[in-house]
Amino acid sequence: MKICAILRTVPDLVEEIEVIDDEIEPFAYIANERDEHAVEEAVILKERYGGSVDVIGIVDEDSEEEIEEPLAMALAKGADRAIKLTMSNKSYRRIEQAKALAEYFKDKDYDLILTGIQGIDAFTGMLGPMLSVYMELPFTGYVTSVEAEDGTVKVQKELGGGLLGEFRVKLPAILGIVSAEKPLRFVPLAKLRQVMKKAEIEEDELEIPEFEGVQVVKYYEPEKPEIVLLEGEPEEVADKLIEAFKEIGVL
Amino acid sequence: MELESESEMLETYMERLSEIQDGEKYKQCLQCGTCGGSCPYGIVTKFTPRKMILAVRANIIDELLESGAQWLCTSCYSCSFRCPSQIPLTDGIIPAARELSLLEGNPPEELARALMNTARYGNPFKESPKKRDRWVKEVDFEIKTLADGPADVLFIPECFGAYHRRCKEVTKAMAEIFNRLGTDFAILGRDEKCIGDSNRLSGEFGLFEELVEKNIKAMEKNPFSRIVTIDAHAFHSLRSEYPRFGFSKPVLHHSEFLAENLETLKEMFSELEYIVTYHDSCYVGRRNGIYDAPRDVIRAIPGVEFVEMKRIKENALCCGGGGGGVWLDSFIKEFMKERPAEERVREAANTGADILVTSCILDIPMFEDALKMTGLEGQIVVKDICELVLEAIR
Amino acid sequence: MKDVAVIVEIIESTIQDISYELLGKAKELASQTGGKAVAIAMGNKVDVSSLPCDTVYYIEDDALENFCSLHVKVLSKIVQEVNPKVILAGNTSIGTDLAGHIAVELNIPVASLCNKVSVNENVRATSLAYGGKLLVDLELKERGVILANRGSFTAATEGSPEVKKLSLSDIGIEADNEIEFIDYIKPEEDVDISKFDVLVSVGRGIGGEENIDDAKELAELLGGEISSSRPVVDSEWLPKSRQVGRSGKTVTPNLYLALGISGASEHLEGVKAKNVIAINTDPDAPIFRVSRIGAVIDIFDVIPVLIDKIKEIKD
Ligand SMILES: Cc1cc2nc3c(=O)[nH]c(=O)nc-3n(C[C@H](O)[C@H](O)[C@H](O)COP(=O)(O)OP(=O)(O)OC[C@H]3O[C@@H](n4cnc5c(N)ncnc54)[C@H](O)[C@@H]3O)c2cc1C
Ligand code: SF4
Ligand code: SF4
Repeated sequence: MKICAILRTVPDLVEEIEVIDDEIEPFAYIANERDEHAVEEAVILKERYGGSVDVIGIVDEDSEEEIEEPLAMALAKGADRAIKLTMSNKSYRRIEQAKALAEYFKDKDYDLILTGIQGIDAFTGMLGPMLSVYMELPFTGYVTSVEAEDGTVKVQKELGGGLLGEFRVKLPAILGIVSAEKPLRFVPLAKLRQVMKKAEIEEDELEIPEFEGVQVVKYYEPEKPEIVLLEGEPEEVADKLIEAFKEIGVL
Repeated sequence: MELESESEMLETYMERLSEIQDGEKYKQCLQCGTCGGSCPYGIVTKFTPRKMILAVRANIIDELLESGAQWLCTSCYSCSFRCPSQIPLTDGIIPAARELSLLEGNPPEELARALMNTARYGNPFKESPKKRDRWVKEVDFEIKTLADGPADVLFIPECFGAYHRRCKEVTKAMAEIFNRLGTDFAILGRDEKCIGDSNRLSGEFGLFEELVEKNIKAMEKNPFSRIVTIDAHAFHSLRSEYPRFGFSKPVLHHSEFLAENLETLKEMFSELEYIVTYHDSCYVGRRNGIYDAPRDVIRAIPGVEFVEMKRIKENALCCGGGGGGVWLDSFIKEFMKERPAEERVREAANTGADILVTSCILDIPMFEDALKMTGLEGQIVVKDICELVLEAIR
Repeated sequence: MKDVAVIVEIIESTIQDISYELLGKAKELASQTGGKAVAIAMGNKVDVSSLPCDTVYYIEDDALENFCSLHVKVLSKIVQEVNPKVILAGNTSIGTDLAGHIAVELNIPVASLCNKVSVNENVRATSLAYGGKLLVDLELKERGVILANRGSFTAATEGSPEVKKLSLSDIGIEADNEIEFIDYIKPEEDVDISKFDVLVSVGRGIGGEENIDDAKELAELLGGEISSSRPVVDSEWLPKSRQVGRSGKTVTPNLYLALGISGASEHLEGVKAKNVIAINTDPDAPIFRVSRIGAVIDIFDVIPVLIDKIKEIKD
């Protein structure tokens, strides 16, 4: 199977994110965790069925994002090729990224394109379903396991509430991975540094088209509610708890 | 990337041993079995250190790795301490086997997470490095940072001391003692990274080296004369491992520092009516031979009645937190009904003490949890030695 | 182009709760646009006659009984016919597969992870991006596909809509085999607590195995699952798979209701919830430091009352 996994970086939420109206400045970037699962699943499939894994890392050229390390990590885990794709201009609109990628993927003949399902910054839709429209390929997301079966893959898809659905998807296809079948494999630091030193990361450009339609008005931090301590009779406390359940939408 | 073959595995293993001091000594193993008999996991493991050496000799390391025995070790140093051939088991035979698991990509998940977090953030908790000095805001005196100027003492709280809610209390207590004594001290603050001892003992040697380099660099920002730390593993690493990388400053465990200042402290002590017992933490006691300093300090506090546990000093039982043990809880629990910490707090309670004094920061979460699990909560309280001292001078 | 459409989510021939929440919002938005609240449902032998909206497009076919590649094709046709201003879907497994697709195909701007939406000449939405650390206000030109998080809107319960029932042949769509449904799998092993929006988590304060059932009932009533601290697992009151914390699972629910959990660091390392509500008799329990609401009360006093009251509401 000729597999491609898409790897993006997202702001590292452990670190601070500075907000300046309609811009944000994260202190650090980190590989999107779901994408790391997509890479992991790609490597698992290659080990099981043979073939190759290309990992493409998408970055925006003027940000501080570092895709080299996540790409080297993918190589250390068993990917065959690492390709860094620099976006011709910055874009938070997934539709623009999807269109650009579809263009890039033309003639690449992948049997399977894996992406992480919904990055933490996916507020303008998800890459997978959008890419699938432009590439005219089937897509399904929330996938947790993949098995190849002549010309198709049998996938398990989370449907919510612990229920899984099993589906057969015709290849070539695009899958949104929520978690790989196995925990992400560990790579010792010395090994990663070694791979980083000698890794050949191919570079290419991603021509981002412009689509109007959706626009960020502003970013802002949610209000941090102070802790409310409830005391009193069970009746009273229960009423207040129920109010709170309603407020956060679970009742 | 998996190691292709048995022989490649053995080769990697041997290469690592050759880099470890006295690593080659494994050849002198007498197969006497002292190690397994000393080990808190000796009964449950398939490969005691003795059998690990056999496995290496017989080239069946993969069997060893598969059994998971390499993770059934909390680096208590009992085996190495007693081994008649002085083979570096805790520092060599075991971490070198762990390294192979890391290379295979499949260490226990909890530990993997801690190691990855440490590589990225410099602490295993996935906390922002910028928050490493947050505890400073919780005390009501100024604490300076080495980057701002020289100091006499460089105080290293290490990761647990900097981030863990309960352990931070120890850090603050020690800082307050410095303050009361008028010690000229500074911290590395945000520049401090995990000192790395559990990474080393977990077989993540590359990460350890990177942490050492970063910490040494941070320590070069301004002169200081010596280090004091509340973390027994940091103490050991800074004292015995860092010198290999060109670091050469005296390093004191905080119990040594307290003992050194005992005359001054004595004048400040007021009476405490406690029955106190003391746990010899592996890396203070057995590993580094510090048995008297903490005992002298405890005994000097007026009103305190000091009682010993059954197993003390070089025979003290491990809390189970070292060598990555704090990140192996579920793994080890699979093999054992009772955690070593639970056995240890029972022993402490049997002395009739009200307070179990510890001297390694990892002991606190290990023992406090064990008190809950054994139902001894409320009967005996866990305190670090500096918390007891602070209470006596308040 | 004034209507507000909802993509109804049907799993195992059951309309999912989220659809009622979306329809609640759709009615409100439709009253502002002067249009209708329209439900689009695809399935087989599903009763859609009392969905709370003005119109239901119900496309019924054997082949639509379970989610498959036909759904997206059908949906695309119907949406073109309805031509709504706003389309609401759940930010769920099926919702994102469908909505992401039609947004591009029909060239409608899309916003995901939303918890607020409003309309004027454009469509405004607020997205809870970055794990809830930031909010993003978005403006969608003229129309919008909104993928909303569960629990964002108040559910509407019942209605008597006009039902437009259609078959696959009515809309000229033929079966295909791009994505075929095979089967449902209910994990035989225990559930994965990291996948739930609501967790009722019990600690040592629950006292004993015999009290776990109350907590389970509460969890069920709140649409969630039960999880626990480690001592509860060690005591074998719950299986290991339920353990939250350093040596257990990391969980990210909307609500983490902690019953008799002190909040040790090792436990909190696994709690990454949007809202923590804690019930504990000890006002100094560290769990309160990470809670949005803390109730200082005996769990055994308050839980039965809580259960009764929620049941009352549900009836
Ligand atoms: C290496 C290591 C790993 C660990 N990993 C984990 C882990 O993954 N997950 C985990 O949870 N723990 C873990 N622990 C254990 C952790 O340290 C704590 O011991 C544990 O979380 C405590 O659980 P608890 O809050 O249920 O119990 P307790 O700390 O005993 O708290 C019980 C609480 O219930 C309250 N309470 C009692 N009765 C009532 C009542 N009737 N009504 C209301 N409130 C009441 C009490 O006030 C108290 O606050 C680990 C410990 C170690 C050392
Ligand atoms: S104690 Fe030392 S010499 Fe004896 S079996 Fe163990 S490793 Fe070999
Ligand atoms: S160091 Fe301690 S725990 Fe590890 S093998 Fe030796 S005796 Fe066992």
